[in-house]
Amino acid sequence: MRRWYISILSLNTSIKNKMSVSMPQKRYYRQRAHSNPMADHTFEYPVCPEDMDWSQLYPEFFSDHQSTQKAAQVEFADIGCGYGGLLVELSPLFPKQLILGLEIRVKVSDYVQDRIRSLRAAETGSYQNIACLRSNAMKYLPNFFSKGQGLVYTNTDVEEVHLWMVKHFSEHLLFTRVPDAELVDDVIISRLGTCTEEGKKVQRNGGKNYLAVFRRVEDQN
Amino acid sequence: MYVLFFGDVKEVRQILPHFCASHVNGICKSMASLGACGEWLVSTYEKKLIAIHTKNSREPFVFDCSAAEQKPKDPEADNKSDGSEETGSDKILAFAVSSSAKLVALTDDTKRLVLFRCEPSWQVISTRWVVRRCTSLVFTEAEDEVWAADKSGDVYSFSVVEPQKTGELKLGHLSMLLSMTLTPNDKYVVTADRDEKIRVSHLRSPHNIQAFCLGHLEFVSSLLVPPGHPQWLLSGSGDGTMKLWEYESGRRLQSWDLKQLRDMPNSDTEKEKRSAVSRIAGSPGGHHVAVQCERVPSVQLFGMEQGTEERLMPSSRLTLPHCPLDLTFDPQGRLWVLLDSRETPFLVYTHTQDSWQCDSESPELKRVTEALQPHWEALQDSAGLESRFQHLYKGNFDNMASYREKKQQRLQQQKDQGGKKRGPGKGQQSNGASKKAKKGNQPGPVTKASS
Repeated sequence: MRRWYISILSLNTSIKNKMSVSMPQKRYYRQRAHSNPMADHTFEYPVCPEDMDWSQLYPEFFSDHQSTQKAAQVEFADIGCGYGGLLVELSPLFPKQLILGLEIRVKVSDYVQDRIRSLRAAETGSYQNIACLRSNAMKYLPNFFSKGQGLVYTNTDVEEVHLWMVKHFSEHLLFTRVPDAELVDDVIISRLGTCTEEGKKVQRNGGKNYLAVFRRVEDQN
Repeated sequence: MYVLFFGDVKEVRQILPHFCASHVNGICKSMASLGACGEWLVSTYEKKLIAIHTKNSREPFVFDCSAAEQKPKDPEADNKSDGSEETGSDKILAFAVSSSAKLVALTDDTKRLVLFRCEPSWQVISTRWVVRRCTSLVFTEAEDEVWAADKSGDVYSFSVVEPQKTGELKLGHLSMLLSMTLTPNDKYVVTADRDEKIRVSHLRSPHNIQAFCLGHLEFVSSLLVPPGHPQWLLSGSGDGTMKLWEYESGRRLQSWDLKQLRDMPNSDTEKEKRSAVSRIAGSPGGHHVAVQCERVPSVQLFGMEQGTEERLMPSSRLTLPHCPLDLTFDPQGRLWVLLDSRETPFLVYTHTQDSWQCDSESPELKRVTEALQPHWEALQDSAGLESRFQHLYKGNFDNMASYREKKQQRLQQQKDQGGKKRGPGKGQQSNGASKKAKKGNQPGPVTKASS
């Protein structure tokens, strides 16, 4: 059960981290669903993946007693994480793995950061493996992450968008579609359409959820 | 003027001045460049390409883009308003010489791509049209294609074997491309953009990215695979540094701050504006590299140092009478520098006994200078003052700062109101309503700011 604290928030954001914080209220963080990704917003991003200091986002995973263990790596990235619904849902399912949400909108990314901070304060030890960064994933993904293999989950309620994504990923020679039969036991799939703001809205409106998963494969040449 | 626009991304591109690099105030910047093509010295001045034979007194070949083939009128084009009817200035934006020096290609501000043969005599093979203005051209080593990188971040390949065939889209960046090169044996294509990125992709399957060379702090303006070092890549940037990479892995090997190499003890370093690396050239023997920085009246030379590991080391700096327009090595390893001067458009340097000597008496220099002078064209603006790269530095609109300020105000207000505030419907207006009225830089509601 979440407890509410009177927020004694100082103007210095670093102090916020040390004190108990109340859950952020969404109405103060509302922002249009679209943001111009081609404009030159100020984003902070590392020069290269090796320079990225993940300990700022996941302090528990990089504390001193962990130094002898292999450095933790972000294994899940939620591109366009919105208000963080999926991050919060996945956190307890993959407690040892780091999950990162990327969100380009100013207010929304700030909401997620506040939300995570609040959750971590409310439940010690929990939600330490999720974090949110404000960034333009389209441009700066290579700054944060080195090349890797893995899976891409796409989910939308707009059929046209789904068809567009399927077309481009299918045509891309480095991706193949994972057939539905292989996804039956996938824990992420079942939650994709239900735990996010958008997902809940679609459910309320009786909309349809379109899912497609792709696997990165080696170049055949 | 700053306008936020929530339309098609393409529409946004037309409006944001960042994407119209050469069209600051509607004027295309002065362009001049220099390259070697076998025994020819090729220079471009604004709209003209001038090729001068260095060994004998052949008549120079001159190609004037303002007299070149016009694009046939497209009846559909009148219905489009995507800016394509805007006429170009015919100024040459880039040119390339093929490995055997038998072919040359140029691209201009009117979006032409012209292919030439140089032997037995200079002749236009074809004139094609690019979709968007290009910044870089390069031939494959096999000389079967010429690749063009454009301002929207796309790379197209154009067939040489079928000189009328339209270009094929090969790969794309999400930012303006500024330089491109191919690696030996046409294995990789290396592309550099305004977002500090250098991308190494497989040439025959460009969707397959081999590596990124990440390290520059500003746009990457020049690239070179130095002759004799097929695994190396040199890159120059708006951050004023040149870096050496092992491009296949993306590993950075060395880095030099060109400004630091230049600095005089007494110089007022505050005054010197940032100077981008505008050209990196390599001698054919693989022993020397010459680096030019914009608005700097000198050339920095580097030499290969032999040891347990080969390393590139700064060797000498050549002081010039004014800022150079461009430079190149010829097949004999001489360094030619192009200056904005009718009397002495060229300087030529030879490396003898560990130093670079300016060869002002060379008969070749005299011949080449005389051949150029009738065709020499005054550049629209003095290249010493204007910078081709100045506008590529990003203006940062810090949306986070203004947001944080407002948030702190809101939280402070809530704290001040203390117990009075309860739930939605009471207390403050939601932020959305109060923000609509404000002009600002935030992404969000459509806003317009006055210029």
